[in-house]
Amino acid sequence: MTEDSGGRRTIAVEGISRVEGEGSLRVDVRDGVVDGVALTIFEPPRFFEALLRGRQSTESPDITARICGICPVAYQMSACAAVEDACGATVGEPISALRRLLYCGEWIQSHALHIYLLHAPDFLGCADAVELAARDRAAVERGLTLKRTGNQLMETIGGRSIHPVNVKVGGFYRAPAQDRVAALAEPLHLALDAALATVEWVSGFDFPEVEGDYRFVALRSPGRYPIESGRIASSDGLDVSPAEFADLVIEEHVARSTALQARIEGRLDYLTGPLARYALNASELPDIARHAATRAGLGAVCVNPFQSIIVRAVELVFACHEALRLVEAYEPPEPAAVAVPPRAGVGTGATEAPRGLLFHRYELDQDGVIVAARIVPPTSQNLITIESDLRRVAQDGLALPDDELTWRCEQAVRNHDPCISCATHFLDVTVVRR
Amino acid sequence: MKGHDDPGAGLRIVVAGIGSEYRRDDGAGPAVAAQVGELVDGVTDLGTIADPLDLLGLWDGADLAVVVDAVCSGAKPGTVRLVELDIASGPDPLGDASRTTSTHGMGLTDVFRLAQAVGTAPGRVVVVGIEGSDFAQGTGLSPAVARSVPHATRWVAELIGDAR
Repeated sequence: MTEDSGGRRTIAVEGISRVEGEGSLRVDVRDGVVDGVALTIFEPPRFFEALLRGRQSTESPDITARICGICPVAYQMSACAAVEDACGATVGEPISALRRLLYCGEWIQSHALHIYLLHAPDFLGCADAVELAARDRAAVERGLTLKRTGNQLMETIGGRSIHPVNVKVGGFYRAPAQDRVAALAEPLHLALDAALATVEWVSGFDFPEVEGDYRFVALRSPGRYPIESGRIASSDGLDVSPAEFADLVIEEHVARSTALQARIEGRLDYLTGPLARYALNASELPDIARHAATRAGLGAVCVNPFQSIIVRAVELVFACHEALRLVEAYEPPEPAAVAVPPRAGVGTGATEAPRGLLFHRYELDQDGVIVAARIVPPTSQNLITIESDLRRVAQDGLALPDDELTWRCEQAVRNHDPCISCATHFLDVTVVRR
Repeated sequence: MKGHDDPGAGLRIVVAGIGSEYRRDDGAGPAVAAQVGELVDGVTDLGTIADPLDLLGLWDGADLAVVVDAVCSGAKPGTVRLVELDIASGPDPLGDASRTTSTHGMGLTDVFRLAQAVGTAPGRVVVVGIEGSDFAQGTGLSPAVARSVPHATRWVAELIGDAR
């Protein structure tokens, strides 16, 4: 342990690995007490909200998809929902179902990437996925199979696996043929087996005893686990529409970071993502996912952030099962998109990106041109809570030597699968012991 | 080129362009890969790859994978370089250049290492780097990079011919 003569200790990570984007982390310890935690994001801000001003609202799905290579569908779906809300358009169930199927592909791809390549190495003492693959080739192959299946879904429905090109305001440019969608059933059956094996695998990891005091926020959609629509609920009783929620959320700039930090007006920080979705919607999971959760030892709510990897694996089971259900029920929507005539107005769209709630709000003029845009990604909403987690984890781990404490702090960040590029609005770690 | 005898037809050769055609010179890789796929017999163009991780699965079992990407090394725009990605024999030949600058967690070298660890790596990976100068939003290559595309395409075609 490195401590100066004044009893101060600093843990610093100058570039946190295995997170999406770039940021750093500094923990200051004085006389055995953590007295400062700073998650600093230095990836350049990207000004997408300004970029949207003056553009046709119909361009928003393709422009905002470029914010992230991991969750482009989330951006597309929230953008479409916001524009359709502003224009007073609604899409029918067949289009909603196809959107949900596409979104399942993104959840499978993103969760498999995070569980196997970014997060699992933490628990197994591996520096990275390459080391993990050398030690447990079958596990990594399973993860890659899952990721590939997610990609297949996205290619079949979205036209390509990254930044799909088939999504438009109102629906899709073209509905995929029934036989092409039906061909997804076989890989999805294999993926479902792989997802169940994933839950069993990660539930055997050793988890630090940590309990977070979280205010969970997620979509809630009676009768189904939320993905592409719903009202917004919290663990302390909030139940509002996406538009009302957007009014409640305040984003603040902190000097050390290019990301905004969000909080709910009049309340403190909150957490979105798998832990929140599960806490607020576990009863909506299909039996196969609920039983997998029970076998893995999860209760109705999970507040150990390190066990988020189990919740994410349970969501993988859900996503594979849900995708199968949608594939088996698929009939090409006709037409593939509904007309969305432009009109002046304000619209909000909220969907569940793999790492949490993502909402867009657009103000349009009478020609459908975007006058103002606001995009609030999950990582911005989670940043304050991640810092709280870090404070707790660093305090609990002060007896650890610097290298182990640094590792533990990085893990505390990766628990929430932050997408720094989305939030840049990220990771190096510094712990200062004084 | 098309129509010529193809003595090495038994080899599986793939070409991939990494980048984004919507970030100007970042589209150089996809542009070259598309031309190679069109002009050289028996080569599979894997299309535009935004995330090197997506090469997993696509390049499995290939005898030769040619990966074309725009680079930013300070060289003269349009400069074309070929690098054999032979990581078994020493340090990463791409050095910091293989570090990802996108939102994804893995660069090309790590993806190659991962593929080797799970036994799906191509027999050879050759990286073709084209020095870019303009990575702003928008389509179309800068003039120097556009001029280098046929040159890089010919170079890749020769490389494939030699491999056969």
